[in-house]
Amino acid sequence: MNRRRILSLSLVAATFLAGCESLPDEPRAGVRSAATATAADRREPVVPERDRVLVDYRLGVSALRAGRFDEAKAKFDDAIARIGGIITNDAEAERARGLFSAERVKTFIGEPYERVMAYYYRGILYWRDGERDNARACFRSGQVIDSDPRPGHENYAADYVLLDYLEGLASAKLLADGSDAIARAQAHNAGKIPLPPLNPAANVLIFAEYGYGPRKFAGGQYGEQLRFHVDDSPTRSARLVLDGGRKIVPLPVYDDLGFQATTRGGRVMDHILGNKAQFKATANAAADVALAGAVVASDQARRRDRRGKDNDDAAVAAVGLGILGVIGKAAAAATQTVADTREWNNLPQRLSFAALVLPPGEHEGKIEFIDREGNALAQRTQRITFSVAAEERDTVVFLSELKP
Amino acid sequence: MKTPSRFLLCALGAGSALLSGCATSAGVQNPSGVPVVEMRPDERGAVAGTGVESTDLVTVTDKMARSILGIPQIARAAAKPVIVIDPVVNDTRFPINKDLFTDRIRIALNRNAIDRVTFLARDRMKALERERALKQAGQVTASSDPQVVEFRGADYFLTGKLGGLTTRTSQGTSDYILYSFQLIDARTSEIVWEDSHEIKKQGLEDAAYR
Repeated sequence: MNRRRILSLSLVAATFLAGCESLPDEPRAGVRSAATATAADRREPVVPERDRVLVDYRLGVSALRAGRFDEAKAKFDDAIARIGGIITNDAEAERARGLFSAERVKTFIGEPYERVMAYYYRGILYWRDGERDNARACFRSGQVIDSDPRPGHENYAADYVLLDYLEGLASAKLLADGSDAIARAQAHNAGKIPLPPLNPAANVLIFAEYGYGPRKFAGGQYGEQLRFHVDDSPTRSARLVLDGGRKIVPLPVYDDLGFQATTRGGRVMDHILGNKAQFKATANAAADVALAGAVVASDQARRRDRRGKDNDDAAVAAVGLGILGVIGKAAAAATQTVADTREWNNLPQRLSFAALVLPPGEHEGKIEFIDREGNALAQRTQRITFSVAAEERDTVVFLSELKP
Repeated sequence: MKTPSRFLLCALGAGSALLSGCATSAGVQNPSGVPVVEMRPDERGAVAGTGVESTDLVTVTDKMARSILGIPQIARAAAKPVIVIDPVVNDTRFPINKDLFTDRIRIALNRNAIDRVTFLARDRMKALERERALKQAGQVTASSDPQVVEFRGADYFLTGKLGGLTTRTSQGTSDYILYSFQLIDARTSEIVWEDSHEIKKQGLEDAAYR
């Protein structure tokens, strides 16, 4: 009788634990300590270290759009200090690869298109400060991050038009040879709106962005596949109108982050998550078999008991299978397969650029965002003013459809 | 075969199936990544390197400072040569604080050979010109005639360049950086001294980031 109770309890426990699958937690707030108390006193949000780069990204681009350039530089420098290195022997990364920890426990550095954008924005800020060579270094790093050495992935690797174009322009302004970079940019841009002719004498650089960037979601049976969703923005192009309409500068799309996010190819981490999902499925199936076996063995034990025969072995097997089933269900439930969907959520979709020659002094105008039919989206039009300096340093104007 | 053996076999089978998929990194090479290692520039590596770090800065600037002090134009100069430092040009893929290189060379030279070279603070010219203008206008005191130009001209320009080469393969990322410095005669444009240092690094990041 005791054995029957044990069997029953095992089966109930197995059924109970089978439903224990859980989604990964949101990042927890840091533990309140002396240091965090100080941050709290300053009313700064406490950011888990593993999300630090993510927060840097978001705050950095917000600061850039709001014209708080020093803050933007600090945020992107902080992020690049982390993403610029090679992360090895990292405990959190090792945990993320483990069965029972979610991918999101690792330190966030972002997918290639996110890391590229950190370098792109920092490059713009360097150029604004007159450091063309450091700006060029950022654009080069961005292209290296987008490169994919795996066979069969060359077509969509290192294919940002603007990164190569800007590298070429910076080189030309530094009296170096930027022709290779320009040739690469033109190759990436083949079939699209032609790039502006390279003009090292241009003293005003217009960086424009519009549309909403790609969003991540977890697909697959167990959420093990990292996928991207792109809401196609109504803004398909833009133009800068200066001098009361006498000068119109087209700002067409040269790079699309939705395209970049979805064409970069799979990650090694996808393979690991696939293995996790396979384990989860196998553990579930094996547990189902074990639990079914436990039921059969239990039934066999009961029949032998009724016939007055020795039922010890059948009962032991039933208990063993029941325990295995419980362990299997628990292991399957504890396996964390969901892809990391933390994302830089205030990125644009489309990037544009123009280089102008303008006389020193104040300039007024507006940027118009244009829909698929070529009509200006009146509500999105922004008035702008900028000052062109007489000095050798280029004037950098950053225009975004997105709010800070 | 007795009944219990069949059940026990089933149990063992189920257990084996359960544990069979425990290796999540199966099929992934170097799941923990390969730590960055420094290599001799002439050493052939499976992959190429990574960026400029403080140790590189120290190594390069110490080497350049020692090298400059040994040249005849400095070691046997009749009068202390006057040197202007021109910012280095970064031609790598790594954004860096370029002033660190020239600052550290200047500091090393001043520390080791204060009586053999003089550096001019050309990067402070705006402030210096403003101060001179205040003196010329009589708004501040002057210890000498402010109308006389006393800003000194340079005998030499010290400048440098960082060039880089990046390789990325499935085995990792590699960066080679050539740090080259020159001392240029301001009167003749001759390059009177030149030296360089090469560093190559390579590494492969953790599989969680690939």
